Amino acid sequence: MRIIDATRRSAVAVAPDRPIAEVAQLMEDATVGAVVVVDGDDLVGIVTDRDLVRRALAHRLDPDARVDAVMSTPVVTIDAGADLRDAYRLFDAHAVRRLAITQDGRFVGVIAIDDLLMDVTADLVAITRPVTAEVLFGHHDVPVPART
Amino acid sequence: MQAKVGDRIVIKAHKVGKRIERDCEVLEVHGADGGPPFLVRWGDTGRESLFYPGPDAAVEPYDTAQPAA
Repeated sequence: MRIIDATRRSAVAVAPDRPIAEVAQLMEDATVGAVVVVDGDDLVGIVTDRDLVRRALAHRLDPDARVDAVMSTPVVTIDAGADLRDAYRLFDAHAVRRLAITQDGRFVGVIAIDDLLMDVTADLVAITRPVTAEVLFGHHDVPVPART
Repeated sequence: MQAKVGDRIVIKAHKVGKRIERDCEVLEVHGADGGPPFLVRWGDTGRESLFYPGPDAAVEPYDTAQPAA
């Protein structure tokens, strides 16, 4: 499966000079846990709700502080046409929960580790269902015809 | 996904086990051929951001046939 087909959510982007209070409110508006920071067409960072707590709230940063003061950079990116397994490798190698999806070098969306978890869980349910049914309801073997 | 200025985009999301909806209005189309990103204004608050729609988003076209005042 391609990354672009595996993402389940929309993405929001803001300019680097936007105040952190506004970014937090945008997260609530759009029901997202992370906002990407773009400067024109350039992807310059990503800020998560956790970043806002640890880097802003915990340090009593001014609500009008610029978002680029608390964003994570550089952003780990993955090409929209890459395979899902490439995302697994990047999540493992970089210990991040979100990857920015790019197409022809431009930001197009976000894939979160939660998206992959939901896919894995759905696959697991699909493959365990027949086994579970067999355990609960027993075998339905066709009887072997008696020899004549 | 394609949209025009004035269209409404509705996002259906889950938040701690319950389904919620958010909506925004398209102010500018920045992509080629009417595609994303869109500059949007969020319904409840009027705040603006760039928006890259995913599978949780659907466009509701703006009805140009407004009734006469």
